[in-house]
Amino acid sequence: MDKILGIVNFESDEVNIAGLSDYRTINTISFMGRYRLIDFVLSNMSNSGIENIQVYTKKSSRSIFEHIGRGSQYNINPKRGKLSILPADSNYSNDVYNHDIGCFTQYLKMIKDSPMSYVVIAPSYFVYNIDFAQVLKHHMEEKNDITMIYKNSDSAKNYYLGCDTLIFDETGRVEKIEKNLGKFKKRNISLEAYVMSKNYFVELIEKAAEMSELYTLRDIIEDQFTVAKVCGYSLKSEVCCINSLSAYLRTSLDLKNAENISVIFKNNWPILTRTSDSAPTHYTESAYVKSSLISNGCYIEGEVENCVIGRNVVVKKGAVVKNCVLLADSYIGENAKLENVIVDKEAIVNHVKKLNGQIDAPLYVKKFGRI
Amino acid sequence: MRKDNMVAMILAGGRGSRLYDLTKKVAKPAVHFGGKYRIIDFPLSNCANSGVSVVGVLTQYENVLLNSYVARDQHWGLDSKDGGVFVLSPREKDGAGFGLYQGTADAITQNIDFLDQMEAEYVLILSGDHIYKMDYDLMLEEHKKNQADCTIAVLQVTLKEATRFGIMNTNENDEIIEFEEKPKNPKSNLASMGIYIFSYKTFKKILISDDKNPESSHDFGNDIIPALLAENKKIMAYRFKGYWKDVGTVDSLWESNLDLLKPNNRLDLGDTSWKIYTEDNDSLPHIIGDYGSVNNAYVNQGSIINGYVENSVIFSGVVIEKGARVVDSVIMPGVTVKENASITRCIVQEDVTILANKVHGDGDNAPIKLVTKKNSKEV
Repeated sequence: MDKILGIVNFESDEVNIAGLSDYRTINTISFMGRYRLIDFVLSNMSNSGIENIQVYTKKSSRSIFEHIGRGSQYNINPKRGKLSILPADSNYSNDVYNHDIGCFTQYLKMIKDSPMSYVVIAPSYFVYNIDFAQVLKHHMEEKNDITMIYKNSDSAKNYYLGCDTLIFDETGRVEKIEKNLGKFKKRNISLEAYVMSKNYFVELIEKAAEMSELYTLRDIIEDQFTVAKVCGYSLKSEVCCINSLSAYLRTSLDLKNAENISVIFKNNWPILTRTSDSAPTHYTESAYVKSSLISNGCYIEGEVENCVIGRNVVVKKGAVVKNCVLLADSYIGENAKLENVIVDKEAIVNHVKKLNGQIDAPLYVKKFGRI
Repeated sequence: MRKDNMVAMILAGGRGSRLYDLTKKVAKPAVHFGGKYRIIDFPLSNCANSGVSVVGVLTQYENVLLNSYVARDQHWGLDSKDGGVFVLSPREKDGAGFGLYQGTADAITQNIDFLDQMEAEYVLILSGDHIYKMDYDLMLEEHKKNQADCTIAVLQVTLKEATRFGIMNTNENDEIIEFEEKPKNPKSNLASMGIYIFSYKTFKKILISDDKNPESSHDFGNDIIPALLAENKKIMAYRFKGYWKDVGTVDSLWESNLDLLKPNNRLDLGDTSWKIYTEDNDSLPHIIGDYGSVNNAYVNQGSIINGYVENSVIFSGVVIEKGARVVDSVIMPGVTVKENASITRCIVQEDVTILANKVHGDGDNAPIKLVTKKNSKEV
C-alpha cells in the first residue's frame, strides 16, 4: 500500500477521560495492560501495509515521543517508511483554536509533499481491527469523494454515548451527522475515520481554514454532504470506544476474559507495541487471583479478582483488588481493599485501606499519587 | 559508546545432548528458560549491560533457529552504530575446504580474521549455555589492573562438586598456578565458569601455535590454559559470587527454572538495573480465567490459565484448561494442557498438547520427566 498516507487525528472535544488525560495525550493512555490506545490505530495502519504515517497531537507530550520513538515496533520500514509525530503549536490564546484543521494547516507542506495519492484518517480512541486497504478498494470502486467508516451498532443506548452517528439518505449517501445521546438502540456510529484522495483532503483543509477559524475536519466534511459523494463503509468487526473514564473502566473489564478479547486480538492481526523487557509475573504462595488480565513484571501476593493490571505492579499480602484497573508501576499496600478504582502509574495506595468506586463512577488515583 | 575494545565471542555450537529432545532441532543456547527467555539471552544481555558492543556468536550444531535469533541484535540493544551481533558459523576456506569447528579453541582460531577486523584488544570468551548475570566490564578492569594475559572467572563450589568442574589452583594473590579438569582429589574449590578474558596479542599467538600442534584437542580447558601456564603467562582468577548455573541436564534446567520462585532468589530477573532482554512476541498480557488459580508461579504474557498452577514456570502461549493441574513443572511456549490433565514434576516441551485427563509425572522425589511430542500420548 504505497499509495496511502496514514493520518492519526486528534480526538474530538467530547472525549474526556477525566484524570488519565491530565497526564498524557488521550492517544497514549494505557489500555489492556501493555498497550497504549494509539497502538490499535497504528497496528491497523501497519497491518494494512501503510508505511507512511503522520500522528497529529493536540500537545507536545513526552509520553507520545517516548512510546512511539522511531516506530520500529510497528513494523515500519526504517528506510522506505516514515512515522512522524506532529504536535500542534502551543501558542493558541484559547484551546478552541487548537483543532485538527489548525494542525493540518501547520504541517500542510508535509502533506502536500507526500507522494501518496490517498489518505486514511483515523483517531486513536476507538479500538477495533480494520484493513484499510479493503476500505480504499471500496472507496475507489464506489468512486466516492469521501468514505466515512462507521459501525452499525444495536447497543447505542448504553455504549458510544456522545459519539457522532451517521444518517443516510435513500441512495446511501451520508445526509447528516447527529450526536448519540443514548435514545436509540440501533445507530450508525461514526468512527471519525475517513478515506479520500490526498488532493481532496488538501482542498478540504484549505477550504476549512478560509471558512472559519473554528472549523474542524468534521465540520468541513459535513459541508460536503450536499455537494460531493460522501458515503459510508460499514465495519463488521467489534468496536470499543474509550471516550470517558467509565467507558475506559467498563471496556477494560469487559475485554479481560479470553473469549471477549479474542475479537480484538486475532492471531493474523497483531497489536504492536513497545516492549519494556519486564520479567514474567511472579505470584507468591499467598496469591489468590482469578478472572483477570495481568501484564509482565508484576509481583502479586494478595487477592485479585476481575482486574486489568499493567506492568510491574505490586499487590501486597492481604490486599484485595476487585473490578480495578491498575496502571504500570502502581503499588497496592498490605490489607488495602479496592473496588472499582483506576490507579494511575506509579501511584501508591498504602495508608488508606479502603477505596470504593462505582462502575459508572470509578474512583481515580492520580499519577504518582500517595494515599 | 565505544570503550576499551573488548570483543565478546560466545561459544554456542554445542548440542547439549543430555537435554535429549529439547535439543533435537535447536542448539542448547536456544533452549527456553525462565518463562520468557532463551539461554543465550543471558550472555547477550550481560554484554549489552556491560557495554560490550561487538559480539561474535559461534554456532555449529542445528544453527538455523539460533543464527536467525541472535542476528536480530536490536532485541538486546546491540545494534549500535559501532557494534552488532555477528554470527560466525564454520565456512569453506581457500585450499582447506569446509571444516567444522574441532573444539572450543578451534572455533576462535578459525575466526582470527574476524577479531583482527574488529581491532580487538581484549577478547571475552563466553559460553552460550549458562544462566547468570555478570558485569564483564568489572572483570576487564581487574584484568587490566593485574596486567594479566588471561583472567578466568571462578566460582566457589563444594569439594564434592569440584570433581565435576575444571578446577583452578591459585596462589595467595589469586594467580592461577595449576589447572585440573574434573580432578578426583581436588586441591581447591575454585571452579572455572568458562568465562575468560584474554589480551589479544598473547591470545592470538597461543591460538596459532595450538592450531599447529597435532596433539592438541583445541579446547580451552585442556589445551589453551595449560599452554599459557607452560609459558609462564600471568593467569588470574576472578571470583564471582552471584547466581550461576550450567543448565546442561533436564534436572538442572528444571531446578534452575524453579529457583526463580524462591523468595529472594539470587538471579532476580525483576531487577530493572540489569534487565535480561529477549525477543518480544506480540502477545497479550496473560489471563487468569474464572476457574484459574496460581500459587507460587512465574507466568509470562500470552498464556491463558483456567486451571490450577502451583510452583511452576509458565511460558507464553500456554493454555491450561479448566480442571487441569500443573504442579512443580516447567511448561514451555505454546503448550496446551487440556481439561483435567495433571502434570507433576515435568518439563513439557514446546508446542506439545497434553490430552484431557492425561497424567504425567509423580509427586515427591520422582525424577523429572521430560514430556515431548513423542511420549506425551504414551500411557
